Amino acid sequence: MAEQLRYEGKVVIVTGAGNGLGKQHALLFGARGAKVVVNDLGGSIHGGGKSSAAADAVVEEIKALGGEAVANYDSVEDGAKIVQTALDSFGTIDIVINNAGILRDSSFQKMTVEDWDLIQRVHLKGSFAVSHAAWPVMRDKGYGRIVMTTSAAGIYGNFGQANYSAAKLGILGLSNTLAIEGRNKNVHCNTIAPIAGSRLTETVLPPELIAALKPESVSPLVGWLCHEDCKETGGLFEVGAGYISKLRWERTRGHSFKLGRAFGPDEVAAQWGKITDFKEAEHPADINQSMAPVLANMNSKSLGGNQYIDLDLASKAETTVESSHSEHDVALYALGVGAAADPLDKKDLSLVYELSSDGFHVLPTYAVMPAMNAMLTMAKEGKSPVPGLNYGFDRVLHGEQYTEVKFPFPTKGKLKHTFRFKSAYDKAPHAVVALGVTTTDESGEEIAYNEITTFVRGAGGWGGERGPSGESNVPPAREPDAVIEEKTDLNQALLYRLSGDWNPLHADPAFAKAFGFDKPILHGLCTYGHVGRHVIKAFCGNDPRKFKSIKVRFAESVFPGETLVTRMWKESDSRIVFETRVKERDKVVIKNAAVELYEQIPQRKAKPKAQAAAAAVAFGPVSADVFAAIGKHLAATKGLGEQTRTMFQFDLKSPDSVWTLDMKSGDGAVKQGVADKPDVTLELSDEDFVAMSTGKADPNKLYFGGKMKVTGNVMASQKLGFLQKMDPKLLTEASAERAAKGGAAPVAAAEQGGGGLNSTTVFAAIGKHIAANKGMGDQLKTVFQFNLKEPDSAWFIDLKSGDGAVKQGTAPNADVTLELSEEDFVAMSSGKADPNKLYFGGKMKVTGNVMASQKLGFLQKMDPKLLQEAASAPTAAPAKAAPAAAAPKEAKSGAVFAALAERLKSDKKAVNGLAGQVVAFKVSGPEASWVLDLSGKSPRLEQGQSDKAATVFGIADEDLAALASGAADARDLYQRGKLRVDGDVRLAHGLSVFSKLI
Amino acid sequence: MKNRVNVIGVGMTKFAKPGASAEYYEMAREAGQKALADAGIPYDQVEQAYVGYVYGDSTCGQRAVYELGLTGIPVVNVNNNCSTGSTALWLARQAVESGAAECVLALGFEKMEKGALGNKFNDREPPMGRHAQVMVDAQGISNAPPAAQMFGGAGREYRWQHGTKKETFGKISEKARDHASRNPYALFNQKLSLAEIMASEEVFDPLTRFQCCPPTCGAGAAIVCSDAFAKKHKIKNAVYIAAQAMTTDYASSFAPLSLIKMVGYDMTVQAAKQVYEKSGIGPEDIDVVELHDCFTANELLTYEGLGLCPEGGAEKFIWDGDNTYGGKFVTNPSGGLLSKGHPLGATGLAQCTELVWQLRGTADQRQVEGARIALQHNLGLGGACVVTMYRRD
Repeated sequence: MAEQLRYEGKVVIVTGAGNGLGKQHALLFGARGAKVVVNDLGGSIHGGGKSSAAADAVVEEIKALGGEAVANYDSVEDGAKIVQTALDSFGTIDIVINNAGILRDSSFQKMTVEDWDLIQRVHLKGSFAVSHAAWPVMRDKGYGRIVMTTSAAGIYGNFGQANYSAAKLGILGLSNTLAIEGRNKNVHCNTIAPIAGSRLTETVLPPELIAALKPESVSPLVGWLCHEDCKETGGLFEVGAGYISKLRWERTRGHSFKLGRAFGPDEVAAQWGKITDFKEAEHPADINQSMAPVLANMNSKSLGGNQYIDLDLASKAETTVESSHSEHDVALYALGVGAAADPLDKKDLSLVYELSSDGFHVLPTYAVMPAMNAMLTMAKEGKSPVPGLNYGFDRVLHGEQYTEVKFPFPTKGKLKHTFRFKSAYDKAPHAVVALGVTTTDESGEEIAYNEITTFVRGAGGWGGERGPSGESNVPPAREPDAVIEEKTDLNQALLYRLSGDWNPLHADPAFAKAFGFDKPILHGLCTYGHVGRHVIKAFCGNDPRKFKSIKVRFAESVFPGETLVTRMWKESDSRIVFETRVKERDKVVIKNAAVELYEQIPQRKAKPKAQAAAAAVAFGPVSADVFAAIGKHLAATKGLGEQTRTMFQFDLKSPDSVWTLDMKSGDGAVKQGVADKPDVTLELSDEDFVAMSTGKADPNKLYFGGKMKVTGNVMASQKLGFLQKMDPKLLTEASAERAAKGGAAPVAAAEQGGGGLNSTTVFAAIGKHIAANKGMGDQLKTVFQFNLKEPDSAWFIDLKSGDGAVKQGTAPNADVTLELSEEDFVAMSSGKADPNKLYFGGKMKVTGNVMASQKLGFLQKMDPKLLQEAASAPTAAPAKAAPAAAAPKEAKSGAVFAALAERLKSDKKAVNGLAGQVVAFKVSGPEASWVLDLSGKSPRLEQGQSDKAATVFGIADEDLAALASGAADARDLYQRGKLRVDGDVRLAHGLSVFSKLI
Repeated sequence: MKNRVNVIGVGMTKFAKPGASAEYYEMAREAGQKALADAGIPYDQVEQAYVGYVYGDSTCGQRAVYELGLTGIPVVNVNNNCSTGSTALWLARQAVESGAAECVLALGFEKMEKGALGNKFNDREPPMGRHAQVMVDAQGISNAPPAAQMFGGAGREYRWQHGTKKETFGKISEKARDHASRNPYALFNQKLSLAEIMASEEVFDPLTRFQCCPPTCGAGAAIVCSDAFAKKHKIKNAVYIAAQAMTTDYASSFAPLSLIKMVGYDMTVQAAKQVYEKSGIGPEDIDVVELHDCFTANELLTYEGLGLCPEGGAEKFIWDGDNTYGGKFVTNPSGGLLSKGHPLGATGLAQCTELVWQLRGTADQRQVEGARIALQHNLGLGGACVVTMYRRD
């Protein structure tokens, strides 16, 4: 027998030890070598009376067992006296069991002040008094164990026990803090909530239950908690009838209202579901963890906003759209803004004629068009170019425009435009919002920047900054250095709108009237193009290539046919201030305007060579290298898992991959594939991940810039800090090792080794199949997600549209998800396992749109060669697989019918269901034909066919065998289409004759 | 007191295969104008319109009705899968019967794609997920069109119980083609022999290709009104709705496992029961029936569901010719969904159109002699079943 836990020489006080739980505790300690102070007032359970008999009896009992004990008859309120008894009798105190208690049950309605006070005094003050007197002794000697006794009534509440409940939970609070204060001095304090048949529970529990709840089953927990080997402190335990468990606090993820934005009961009500949702609960263990979300919220104050403008969202948002333009677009634009009015002017012609002898030049103001058109397209679809700006186009007036070109704008090409929020000023009740748009070309180089400032009707009033109010680009008080006058054409707007601005305000007279204009007005950006040309004509010799930027404020509308007069002042060689009026009405239409010029025509930087870029991608670190390096780091450091206790999942995009960093225990481990139960999942691009891991990107910036999505326990992501301690050499090594192996990023296949078929090769084959059969996506319109196990990996076949594609990772839009083992997946894909059998055998789980899984049938049309090729690609395919697949199936039908013939001989009634019938069996795979003739006196069973057979059963060899072995039944086979019946289906009921034949 | 509801105008387009039809609003205009002309009333007399279609974005109903006029009346878009058309009619009938309106238009149209039906919104729980689960549990999944698997599976279950011959199912298509050959509005006007039907490609045992209704484009319309309205417009002896009921799935659709129940057998039984009780007319008094024969298996089940023959008696009923001219009832004189075609939103109103013509005695070569009482059955998986009894005194 193993040595029992003992308390040799330890001095124990057990209060209320005359009966019930306390008595059992005292006996346990006494029997295991402790010196016990048996305290009991000898009162009734309601707190009345006093007698020494109970304590004395327990002392005698302990002594009889060979232990040491003294009695004490003081009230726990006089805790110091009890402790004094211990010190007097045994010289010290090691363990205090606060167990004494009484009841004064009464509904709250009837409860008296006396009921209340008495309970608080005995339970709460009593626990305090005894512990407080023992505390200095324990601290000084650096050892102490205290057990408090609380109750389910305190933890959960109980009718009629308001006083008791309050005192009992008060005790837990006392214990929590004693645990913290005593921790450094090896003084531990725990709390138990016993359910036991004792004098106190007799009043609330039925007798049978009390009999089952023996005090003896509580004391073992108390014993362990007080042993010197037990490190537990600050714990709360439920215990009774042999059941022991630990309790902790649980908290919902909750909701954080952004500080700086008012919220009231309505907002609380709106978030109530989230506030009370325990789905993603956490378990704060101390006051720091309790404060964490509050502190986190304090660190992310709101920037403000209202229903139209959410500054928090907008300031983080970034939208990129693509466009392409051709020489046609450029020339049409130039005509739209009045260029080449004189087709014989060579300089003008070079703006509209792509074969111009002076070269074909793009008007710099065109640089706003691709971005603006992209925005108009979004507006047409009801989308805001920047999330967080939630107002419609109908509220918007174009107020100011700034366009800067980094060098002459390309005459054609594909461009990307990235919209970012720049500023929003609160001009209550209206708002002024500025967006910045950065335009890059295919090489990624920035070629233009636009700032679009709009006046948004009624969107102000959130109490934000009003913004600058002064005027800029004010013309000097002197005659202009140049003046250009130009009459616009009556159909100018109709020509300009073909460049992309579809707003009917510029074409439809009725529509314009509805907006309060006599006739359609000219587009602001059309005027913009005109005035840009005026500056180019006056100061650049009509060559647009030195033009750097233009900034204007739109002051008034212009009607087509009106005359624009632009007055220009040269402030320096590189800066022209100007203003434009409409001559007919003498109104300023463009003001606070300026153009900046380059001194020389700017040149494009040399394009990085495509090959060099590709090489950098291949030999720079990739995410697989980073994970390989992390693996090495974990192996070298040891015990990081133990410290971190967190499961991380990384969902990387472009190229897609999923990785798990299991830091739950031990040294930690890295593997490819999804995590079983990730504590936190980080979603970011492969590139950003590598940048983050190599210190080139700040995780916080990625997160707040919307480039990294963190789900699960967001706080846990901070534990990734251990990566910063990683030796950078590890990454360089991993990268070099991969390069030496041939450059390709390692994938799951490499880990599985051995070559042959695995999920990686199968998916590669599927990829080839899809590529070879164009338009499968258009046909199937389905995204299949495969979550494979052992080893884990996630793949999806995206056949939503077009040709479709196979990708590793998790699809954001899977229609159906199939979960099965890697082995079963390979077997299914290579025709060795039946998908239906896997499904019904519980080996494959199908979730989502179950019906969509049937569309996977296309895999059956896949050329088997593709699989073979894929299998042999990484290493030579093992030869054993092929013969196994090719081996002919052995027919089982012969044995089945032979057994049937035996049965017919011995048991004629077995075929009652087919009595008088002639039925035929057509067995397939391998084929066989049988006729069972029951029309004569004795049954005949023969191989072959018969014209007399009124009913023919078609069945596969293996299904017939299943029927005969009892593994399948005829009705089920029929419903599933595996038993085909030509003739009277009811005769198939008679196939029960096959049951348990073999 | 409830108002009697008269069907005073009906109209439909010739049904066409996908790709060969006009735009949906053009089909709707044709059906609507025909119904108005048939009733002899101008569009401005219509107080409400219920417009059914399954495939199309919201408010196609308005787009369609606007072809008839812009009178600002309430237009309600109706979507109830294959029973969409009769659901629109059910709402129109309810509006007049309750006194909410005097004259109401029920319109249905569909512009379908080629191929089997499927879900359009794949980013969310499919509405028939629970139905599909029953099927998967009972028989797994095959590559056949989902609806064929469901109704074909119900056919298998029926065959297991009653030993029905495969040809019995084929016989229904033979009859449907025969009826349709007399209907100029039908998609298929060619007769087919039983041998041809049985020899066509198997879609899902026991169903062959010619036992499955085709995707179809078309429109149908009906105008219903109160007695007072009919009197005001001097319309005499109109066809009227003697009773109408709509049911949706009962618990039996999902458990215990039965494909016959899952495809709506109990919805049919209960809707028919309500109609027979409300009208006081039993199945024995019916002259002509338009019922939901999306697949032959469902027509067979529906004979029993509507009480046209006893349970288990469908095979005899079919071979005795009790489902065609000269028998007890003429079922689907129009050719039914199998041969006339099944534009989901239009079907319920095309059935109504056929029966109104039959009761007026204007069904030409399809006319059921002396027809006075007609029954309509329109079923949608998902599910809803509408049964309507028409009379003409």
